[in-house]
Amino acid sequence: MKGKVGKVLTIVIPIVLAIFLLYPTWRAQQMAAERASLDSAAQVQWDQVNGEDFRKEKLRALKLGLDLRGGMYVTLEVDVVRLLEEAADRAAIDETFERVIEETRRQADRSDEEVLDIFLRNFDQIARPQGKSLVTYYELVDVRDISEERIIERLKRDINEAVDQALQVIRQRIDKFGVTEPTIQKQGTRRILLELPGVQDEREMRQLLQTTARLEFKLLRHGTDVLYAFLNIDRFLAGKGVPAADTARSADTAHSGDTTARATSDTASKDPYAGLSDEEKAAKFRREHPFLSLFAGQVLIGERYQPFDIAESVIPKLPADAEYYFLTNEDGKRQLHAILARPEIRRMLPADVEIAFSAKPERGSENAPSRTYAMYVLKRDPELTGDVVTDAYATFDQMTNRPMVLMYMNSEGAERWAKITGANIGKRIAIVLDGEVYSAPVVRSKITGGSSQIEGMANVEEAKLLQIVLKAGALKAPVKIIEERVVGPSLGEDSIRSGISAALIAFALVVLFMVTYYSMGGVVAVLAMLINVMLNLGILAGFGGTLSLPGIAGIILTLAIAVDANIIIFERIREELHRGRSVRASVDEGFRHALPPIIDSHVTTFLTGLILFVLGYGPIQGFATTLMIGILTTLFTSIIVSRAIIDLWLARSPSARLSFGEVLPAPQS
Amino acid sequence: MEFFGKTSIDFLGKRRLFLVVSVVLNVIGLVLLIFGGLRLGIDFLGGTEVALRFSAELHTDALRSAVAAAGFPNAEIKSYGKANEFLIRVPEIGGQGEQAASFRIVSGLKKAFPNETITVLKEDRIGPKIGSELRTKAFVAVLLAIVAILLYIAFRFEFIYGLGAVVALVHDVFVALTFVLIGQKLEILNLEFNQGVLAALLTVVGFSINDTVIIFDRIRENRDKHKGMALVPLMNLSINETLSRTINTVLTVVLVLATLLALGGEVLHGFSFTMLVGIITGTYSSIYIASAFVVWYTERIKKEPVESAEPRQPKILRALKEA
Repeated sequence: MKGKVGKVLTIVIPIVLAIFLLYPTWRAQQMAAERASLDSAAQVQWDQVNGEDFRKEKLRALKLGLDLRGGMYVTLEVDVVRLLEEAADRAAIDETFERVIEETRRQADRSDEEVLDIFLRNFDQIARPQGKSLVTYYELVDVRDISEERIIERLKRDINEAVDQALQVIRQRIDKFGVTEPTIQKQGTRRILLELPGVQDEREMRQLLQTTARLEFKLLRHGTDVLYAFLNIDRFLAGKGVPAADTARSADTAHSGDTTARATSDTASKDPYAGLSDEEKAAKFRREHPFLSLFAGQVLIGERYQPFDIAESVIPKLPADAEYYFLTNEDGKRQLHAILARPEIRRMLPADVEIAFSAKPERGSENAPSRTYAMYVLKRDPELTGDVVTDAYATFDQMTNRPMVLMYMNSEGAERWAKITGANIGKRIAIVLDGEVYSAPVVRSKITGGSSQIEGMANVEEAKLLQIVLKAGALKAPVKIIEERVVGPSLGEDSIRSGISAALIAFALVVLFMVTYYSMGGVVAVLAMLINVMLNLGILAGFGGTLSLPGIAGIILTLAIAVDANIIIFERIREELHRGRSVRASVDEGFRHALPPIIDSHVTTFLTGLILFVLGYGPIQGFATTLMIGILTTLFTSIIVSRAIIDLWLARSPSARLSFGEVLPAPQS
Repeated sequence: MEFFGKTSIDFLGKRRLFLVVSVVLNVIGLVLLIFGGLRLGIDFLGGTEVALRFSAELHTDALRSAVAAAGFPNAEIKSYGKANEFLIRVPEIGGQGEQAASFRIVSGLKKAFPNETITVLKEDRIGPKIGSELRTKAFVAVLLAIVAILLYIAFRFEFIYGLGAVVALVHDVFVALTFVLIGQKLEILNLEFNQGVLAALLTVVGFSINDTVIIFDRIRENRDKHKGMALVPLMNLSINETLSRTINTVLTVVLVLATLLALGGEVLHGFSFTMLVGIITGTYSSIYIASAFVVWYTERIKKEPVESAEPRQPKILRALKEA
């Protein structure tokens, strides 16, 4: 009896496990279908309710490869030659240096040698005889300690950090581009792999990937005129939504702005909201304030920021040059981007204003269900651009042991920086990369000499990020596309259709053969095979793997291997039956003798899969992954699960029989 | 249902004949490789490849002249499955944006066929460095797989059996390649050596060894059971005993692969074709290369008798019956 329970569990547990692992995939699909059936307004609402769940399910769901859903696959490599060229002092570059670069580029294209080594060799051959040294062309931050070794050290560091810089810039741009579920991966020390599902306009994308980043320093813009502009925008947007004749309503709108400008539902309830539930209030507020409902204000009073309502009655009470910023959430950020991009809205803002958002979620909200972002009002013209930055380091403040970033500027930059900081003590300067704010430190004192210290990072990662951002302005991280594959959405659909239909037909044929030839034994094999496929897909989903067309091929192949294992076992059982043994004894013997060859064949196939996985990449890895998972699940299902099914069947009664399609007595051929 | 009862076919009796067959096939492959060359896929070659769908059917010649007008007289143009789908390949990659070869091809075609809607199905741009890197990796992968298998079989069986299995493997990879080459020459399918074909070759390696292992395993078992039996009858017995498994497995796998080949779409063609050939040669080579190699080694190098001192068993049985 005890053995029976164990056998039932052997069959049930893998099924339950597979269902558990595949449930998020099913759920995500259901939710996606539900969302797609709504109109865009309802989708926004749906996102607020289900957005977080949907994201979570999608994260655990089985992902489809680009070949199945269409998209773009790009491999980028840091262009070290260009980096060496750009790192040089522009004023010092002469014909000799250009020749060194040209020669290096020519040789690097056809060699696997480190580009820096090629460069140094060419430098020795071409530039040295003319009396030049590295010091001629490259500057260092620390002027007291200039030597060739230091410069080489610095170049090495620049090259190694270039990938991270490029990664940061690209990640930000892709987020902005609105690609859903992109994969951005570092490969080795020089390469970045990008998988961008559903990207249609790949030319625009290519441009985005290859232009260099723009780093700017912009002052926060004070003054209440922007707040009045916000009120106007809100009225304008709401007015468009309600019938023009409804003047009472618009007056009401202006009035109800008094209540609250908080994005989320507030408890404050004045007249127009009386008698409404919180949810209705929030909805009403959102309807009447399509713009102001998207963010909440924070104004600096004394030393601290305090929330304030953006309302006609509140603004005059603020100091005329009040310093403020706003908080919004992910969804709000997206909507605000769209609204502020409209030219008629743009015109309603003062001409010298630029609205920018923080690149990263505000501290503490990274893992919250709704991440908050800051919205800044900046002066449109940058005080300084990033090309004056020569270097940046993340380090620790020796006094407080807090993380900080040291930033160095060239002499021209240092001079202007001193003027800017001197004139704006106590104000905030935003560090903006490609239009996104990474930090907005307060100027403590006039900074002369070009080396600044930026504090206030919560941890080393934050400091490291700022370092990367600052360096992106200092030194371009040029990347080149070395591989690019685009799968059009129609080919993706075709592939899915043909892949799935081929798999189904192949499966049906195998089932037909197994059941005709091995009778009940065949039925057991098919059951085990079904469990096998479910487990394979489930484990793939569980590991966060991606199913591609070669992956499907891998699954089909493991099915063939699983069938082979069952054929080996059944043939052996038949042999034993032919020898006149009982069904039970034959099953025992059959499984026992079939085990060694099955294990041998699985080990060898697994070894090939492993080698493919390690050496292959992209499509081949997809194939190898499902093959390796499949080998393991096959070993389990075709030996243990099918054995358990057969044993359970035979245990029903002492006279139970199970046909393996054998014909007894055997006819002589 | 049973197709086969107990058989006693003298498989190894014809080993010399099939050796000739294998040698001939390999020589054909070698000749094709040297004089025709293996047509590499875009993965290993580098360059630009664009698959396009036109709204109406189109003649290749019209397309060829349009692509030539766009500045690519050496473009390779093939059908991509359907009559209105084409694959265009050029060795260039071009610069960025408007300079890119793919962009120039597509915009050139849009100009040449203004009434057609052109859909880009697929677009690959592979830099020359990636191409050569992948070539090296592919070679290393096949080599490593073979070495790993040799070690495993040598550990599980005797070394000479492992060697026999590996000789069979190399044979299978080569024969599968030969058929890919023949397929390329006859232009039956859009066959070229790409990552799919490489994956198929490696799977063939796995499958071929699988088949060999099952026979060797039976030989090992029978050697203990029938002490004193000479090698050839022992092997024949083992091959016959595993015959119905061999045939049933090959049958099911062939069913699966034929379905993939017919319905799996353009992307899986190379993979399924190579696998199909490889599975069949893998089965064949287990008998006529792997086992025959062990027989040859025992007979010629170790100078041991391989045919039984007493006449072969089936003959005895028949003689007794006749008597």
